[in-house]
Amino acid sequence: MGLTADEFTIQFISTVVKFSILAVMLLQVPPVMLLVERRIPAFMQRRKGPNRVGLFKFRLYGVMQALADTIKLIFKEEVVPEGAQKVFYHLAPVFSVFPAFLIAMAIPYGPDIQVLGQTIPLSVVRLDVGFLFIFAISSLAVYGVTIAGWASNNKYALLGSLRASAQMISYEIPLGMSLIPIVLIYGSLDLNKIVEAQTTFLKWGIFLSPISFLLFLIAMFAETNRTPFDLSEAEGELVAGFHTEYNSTKFAAFFLGEYVSMFVLSCLASTVFFGGWQVPFFDVRALDQLVGLPGVGALVGFGSLLMKAAFFMWLYVWVRWTIPRFRYDQLMNLGWKYMIPLGLINVVATALVLAAVWFK
Amino acid sequence: MVPVEFYFMLACVIFTLGLFGALFRRNIIMVLMSIELMLNAVNLVFVAAGRSIGNLDGQIMVLFVITVAACEAAVGLAMVIALFRKYGTVNTDILRLLRG
Amino acid sequence: MPDFSSLMSHGVFHLLAGLITLVSVLVVVSKHPVKSAVFLVVDLFLLAAVYASLESHFVAAIQVLVYAGAVVVLFLFVIMLLNLQPDQLRGMRFNPVEAVTLIVSVIGMLIMLGVSMSGKPTGLGDGSMDVNAIEAAGGNTYMIAMKLLTDYIWPFELASILILLAIVAAVVIAKKDKKPVVS
Repeated sequence: MGLTADEFTIQFISTVVKFSILAVMLLQVPPVMLLVERRIPAFMQRRKGPNRVGLFKFRLYGVMQALADTIKLIFKEEVVPEGAQKVFYHLAPVFSVFPAFLIAMAIPYGPDIQVLGQTIPLSVVRLDVGFLFIFAISSLAVYGVTIAGWASNNKYALLGSLRASAQMISYEIPLGMSLIPIVLIYGSLDLNKIVEAQTTFLKWGIFLSPISFLLFLIAMFAETNRTPFDLSEAEGELVAGFHTEYNSTKFAAFFLGEYVSMFVLSCLASTVFFGGWQVPFFDVRALDQLVGLPGVGALVGFGSLLMKAAFFMWLYVWVRWTIPRFRYDQLMNLGWKYMIPLGLINVVATALVLAAVWFK
Repeated sequence: MVPVEFYFMLACVIFTLGLFGALFRRNIIMVLMSIELMLNAVNLVFVAAGRSIGNLDGQIMVLFVITVAACEAAVGLAMVIALFRKYGTVNTDILRLLRG
Repeated sequence: MPDFSSLMSHGVFHLLAGLITLVSVLVVVSKHPVKSAVFLVVDLFLLAAVYASLESHFVAAIQVLVYAGAVVVLFLFVIMLLNLQPDQLRGMRFNPVEAVTLIVSVIGMLIMLGVSMSGKPTGLGDGSMDVNAIEAAGGNTYMIAMKLLTDYIWPFELASILILLAIVAAVVIAKKDKKPVVS
């Protein structure tokens, strides 16, 4: 490794600090989304959403609704179905939550900062195969869904989980394939380098490769089982799909996993296509010298990334309440027969264009 | 640095366990899983030996081994499904037509 | 006092090796196939960690992506769709042929291990683990890509044909036979 003991200690402590901050930050996303998911469609449908819950007569536009929902979820009685497989029933939510948090570790949240003479990247780990790591870990999310449905000893849960996991596996391929042209264009699998390469506004991923953006957006919706691809949790069809038999804290865990993976994929989309922590027409890293305080650039970059991720989260909610859901065979058709060939054509076309540019 | 023999020893242990599973499990799918374990032991040897020689050939072999293992698992499981449809069981004590 | 980084690598390796051995035993011994499959996933993940500690990041990522993320999912699907029940290990009393196979293979491995250890002691040397040298050459993925697409281009293309064949074969073998329509 070649690190001295002090360098290692600084890196280690900074990794622990980064991870803790990230974990706490990610845990704030589901409560916020609980509220956003109800108020925004309410506004879109010309009605008011939940705005009655208040604490000490402090209504504040329904912000306390999130708190009320969370408390309700935690205090519900936990009923374990009779024939459920003991270990797997309790283990399945872990497989749903754990990958989402792992993916979040590879995403750069800001420019490198200098601490005690060491450069510390603002992703929890700096991997030179960042992209592959993200796809590898998102393939592990399938296990949560599969084992949850199977361990519930419920035919409908099993059916729902098999459908959901088949959907997730099918859409992993377009998810990865749509990002291969980005790797070709920016020349690196490392997400830090990709963000640093998007210097000017016109070099953002979405302008250099719009078809990839379209494919990735659709695959993103399908991977997180969100409408219009949420037939596995469709009410009225399969009760609640693979998490039918889960209540109280475990249901909260699935819920947490779903929203955290939505947020993390939104961060990934903004990193690759929207410039990540870069602000257009402005060099965030030079902000440190301008203002004179260390770390200001990192904070501004972080805020910019959060705004872009928030845009994608809002897009998730907007699409959910606008578009009707797909049938299962339409969904599989779309994934295998349309998106994969389009992704392949995209890769080949990008490669040809790049070859023409490089070798002219 | 960790001497490369330690990696070989670990690979031998995994290989032996996989072989034990492949020989002594009654379920065909468990046999296939044990074969995957053996292939992983071989991968470990390739990577460690490649590193000790200083070459990248080890890692490239591993890529091909993973590819072949995935193909073999897919076709093997398809055959298991076909067998199950015909015989109704995956017990190797019953499915012994090829045995001498 | 050996230097700090080698202490760390030894510690990491021994921890991983112990965990891998334990989990592999659980894979082979578990009665329920789904339990074995889940332990196999953990095993593959730990092996990927070992590859990463050997500076083979690309191979580690591919291992998790393909092996743990796709092959074992396939196993799980088949186990669940066939609704397999737990079973026990076969007894070792009948079938001396297999017991002899196991013992002979173990002896063979020990012999090969002894031969490999009797040469001059090699560490992981030649600077091939030097992180800066790998970075300067463009990174692990870059080096693998260069080698794969120049020296190993034939196996690369043949592997893609193999995958295509495997897809077609798996679909054809697992299809239900349709009864022909009597006209």
